[in-house]
Amino acid sequence: MNFTGNSNPLVLVHRNMEHIAIDVPVDVMLTPQFYTVKKEPLPVRFAYQAKKIAPSLFDGLLDTEGNYDYFVYRENDSWVFIAYEAAEIMYFLQKKGISPEKIGKIYFAQQAVNKITSPVALGEKEALTQIDGTVVVIPRMALPNADFLPFDNSFRPLQGVRPEAGVQSLLSRKEAIVLAVVLVLFAAVWFAEGMRYGKTNVKLQERLTELYESYPALQSAYARESIASKYRTIDTVERKKRKIIGKIAGLIFKGVTLTEFDMTPQKFKAVFVLSDAKVAKRFDQLLKSAGFSKTPASSDRKIVVEGRL
Amino acid sequence: MNVKRYTNELIVATALLFALAALGYKFSERTKMAESNQIMAKEVAVFQETVSLKKIWGDKRLGKKLESIRKLVPASKVKWQKKGKKLTARFSGLKPSEVNTLVTKLLNIAVQVETLKVKKNGDTYTLEIQCKW
Repeated sequence: MNFTGNSNPLVLVHRNMEHIAIDVPVDVMLTPQFYTVKKEPLPVRFAYQAKKIAPSLFDGLLDTEGNYDYFVYRENDSWVFIAYEAAEIMYFLQKKGISPEKIGKIYFAQQAVNKITSPVALGEKEALTQIDGTVVVIPRMALPNADFLPFDNSFRPLQGVRPEAGVQSLLSRKEAIVLAVVLVLFAAVWFAEGMRYGKTNVKLQERLTELYESYPALQSAYARESIASKYRTIDTVERKKRKIIGKIAGLIFKGVTLTEFDMTPQKFKAVFVLSDAKVAKRFDQLLKSAGFSKTPASSDRKIVVEGRL
Repeated sequence: MNVKRYTNELIVATALLFALAALGYKFSERTKMAESNQIMAKEVAVFQETVSLKKIWGDKRLGKKLESIRKLVPASKVKWQKKGKKLTARFSGLKPSEVNTLVTKLLNIAVQVETLKVKKNGDTYTLEIQCKW
């Protein structure tokens, strides 16, 4: 019975294997030809801690130009470190007819060391066996009378490596996760900003509520607009009237006498009497700067100013 | 299409979609806030303008305030006729300074000046005012 829920067939992969045609997803178990193994009794508790120090353990053992990944698991009191080149393995598997998308999990023969109680045949010339707890590949001629174990799903260990999406993927899993995390962080910030925008008009809302409460008669927008329109007109007209009266008053100085002023809702008229020519000259200047002009009814000493409101 | 082959791209695409949705949400909230603020700010401004205009031109104490003008000159110089919210006043025998004071005072009261007449008669002035509020 399979308690792991994994029902993929397990394929033993070795360098001299024949090309195979795969239609269904498979799991693969790699022979030591594809990885380098090292056992160390390290005082670390968790696999992630062990994985961090894995590269330093293989210093000088691996090709410096290779791009290695590491698989770590505990075996009794030791940690087993496996270094492998995922890209090279995927390339090999594809060449042998196992396309990357068909691969469920990758296992290493070293993980099945306890199952390899007798050699397992690898084609006509080689065999997989274990020597002192390490799985190795040896020539079959070194085992003339051996009984070979058939390789089947019972060799499947509990843990395995889930392969990258495939050689055709533009991004590695690590890159994809980093990018996704960055994007999700941005999304969170933008979402928070969006939430904040929704709350920024609280002050205006409060001010409006305060006004409604203080002036209940103005709660209706229609009434408000109507009242505002009425008083706005009055305000404009009355301010204009006061401005004109102010300007007329500004024209009066020593030698100028206002003899008549008449203002109705439509127009205004002011009559000034000037004492001499000097005063008349200055009055003309003031008149111009105030924006008024004399009417034809004016004479040298009597100035009539008219205008419309 | 084999989905598994593009798992990494799918992870990034999903995150990107999520980020774009969040960005869209942010922009939509910002636009909504700007529109809502604009409407509310306008409403507050109109409200405040209405209130202040009403306070100035609809002041219920305007009638009383006008009474103060009457007392600026001796009663013999004044003809005062107030009907409801309308006033017709005639001041006669005024000195120029009195005219100045009366006009200045009147213009500082928020009444609607219907007519304002000033006429010089010899050395004195007559002032006629018609206003409402």
